[in-house]
Amino acid sequence: MSPTSSERRRDAAAPRVLGQTARALPARILIWAVLGVMAVYVLAPLVFMLTASFMPARDVMSMPYPWIPRSLYWQNFWQAIRGNDGKFMYARSILNSLVVATAITASTALLATLTGYGLAKFPFRGRRVVLLLIIGTMMVPFQAIMIPLYMVVTKMGMQNSYAGLIVPFLINAFGVFLMRQYLLTFPDELIDAARIDGAGELQIFWRVIIPNSWPAIATLSILTFRSQWDNLIWPLLVVQSEEMKTIPLYITRFASEKYTDEGAMMAAAVIASLPMVILFFALAKYFVGGAKLFAARKG
Amino acid sequence: MLPALVFFGLFSFYPIVNAFYTSLFKQKLLSLAPPEYIGFGNYIYLLHSSTFWNSVRATAIFTVCTFVLLVGVSLLLAAFIASRKRVQSVLQMAYFSPAVVSSVVAAAVWMLIFDPRGLGNQAMNAILRTPGVDHKWLASATMLQISTILVYFWKYVGYFTIIFIAGLTSIPTTLHEAARIDGAGAWKDFWCVSFPLLKPTLVLVSVMSMIQCLRTFSTQYVFTQAGAPRGPIDVIAFGIYNTAIRDHQIGRASAMSVILFCIMLVLSWMQFRVSRSDDVSYL
Repeated sequence: MSPTSSERRRDAAAPRVLGQTARALPARILIWAVLGVMAVYVLAPLVFMLTASFMPARDVMSMPYPWIPRSLYWQNFWQAIRGNDGKFMYARSILNSLVVATAITASTALLATLTGYGLAKFPFRGRRVVLLLIIGTMMVPFQAIMIPLYMVVTKMGMQNSYAGLIVPFLINAFGVFLMRQYLLTFPDELIDAARIDGAGELQIFWRVIIPNSWPAIATLSILTFRSQWDNLIWPLLVVQSEEMKTIPLYITRFASEKYTDEGAMMAAAVIASLPMVILFFALAKYFVGGAKLFAARKG
Repeated sequence: MLPALVFFGLFSFYPIVNAFYTSLFKQKLLSLAPPEYIGFGNYIYLLHSSTFWNSVRATAIFTVCTFVLLVGVSLLLAAFIASRKRVQSVLQMAYFSPAVVSSVVAAAVWMLIFDPRGLGNQAMNAILRTPGVDHKWLASATMLQISTILVYFWKYVGYFTIIFIAGLTSIPTTLHEAARIDGAGAWKDFWCVSFPLLKPTLVLVSVMSMIQCLRTFSTQYVFTQAGAPRGPIDVIAFGIYNTAIRDHQIGRASAMSVILFCIMLVLSWMQFRVSRSDDVSYL
């Protein structure tokens, strides 16, 4: 880990590396070719989405694709928000998605931290069983339980409402598991010190646990927000009216309408991606941290 | 704490139990008639149904191809990137970026790329030197399957690459140094040092990616809504949705859910068994 040892290594290895490069040149060209081809494959569709959103439809569909818009064709964005029927339903969908995703993220962050804290720091009878059951539900795919879940929600009279979209996801097993794993390593001394100072249990949770678990909470929040922003299958079941549609539903319909303009479609896609892109640039380390978390969990 | 548990009970355990229970009945959505008990009738029906077997085949093709591509390519990319420290973070971010857009947006973008006049044909024709050929990305059965695989692979390859990079960088450099001193080249170093030590990460990524592939839904749904034929890409999750919502066959859909759940359980159990069998440690 210390910089000196790696520098020394580089110095010692320098003559050999020089000898190797000549031999390994084809291999290096191959490596960079693979990296380059993959970069084009990965980035081209994103560049296409962005540039096409600023082009009139006949440019988007011209062959070969021009790549650079001749001028910024803002009408696409107006058309995307206005919709083909001029009812501005996209604005409503964006609002719905924001409400649903924010509510679920906030409640998951709070409840998962609370439950994870309970499971990590309070020994009680049956704790192992509860933990096992929670991990067990992590293994169950949503697609396997969505139909019974749909019937539960229908019986409670929550279909086609915010409640129906939000309530089933208020807390998730993965969040509880994540927070428990994180809080297991939380120093007991800190909690005991607060207790000796006369803090109540709730106060400890608010003043000690939450401020000190920020990285885990942020990671969990981003994962939750992203999965809700992306959720297509549940709103598809629960929502019937145009007013309650979320962004994925709206885009699906907009994309399948015959007279939809290709430029406007990409504008709608850009708008739908904006919140995630902003979050990504602001909090990239938590995005990547979410992925790395899995690697750290091995063993 | 207690509300959370009640919650799990209502929205996780109850539906699981209920899925098993409902799968034994002939029940219609929105119908007031009491469900009729038919034992394993739904399962027997499914085993004789060509639509169901078509779903299974579509899911298997999609999952196996995407899984192999995802794990293979992301491991390759991770090995290439992790050894190039200067460009690591830039490349890592670039490959990760498709994971930021939502799957419906991804499907919409790729739908235009796969348009007869779109970039898909342009790129293929430029590579194959066949000007003006339409490759029917969203029309012919095989191409449609390839298209959905390409979209899924595109979205998740960066995500798994990052997991692999994290796994690779957690291997102590002293081991690589020791291998170099013993005269191992880069290739041998990777196969004999990195690869065995990467096994826990490899198993984890395999389980995750396979389970994710089995759950695929959005791309297939958006493509069919836009007019692509349903048959070749009628994956199980999509089949469950159609059986329950379009055909109103709740019991049958529940039976499909139970089968999907069992497949996933068996797969994850098998993979964990494999990983437990021979763990390697060089420390």
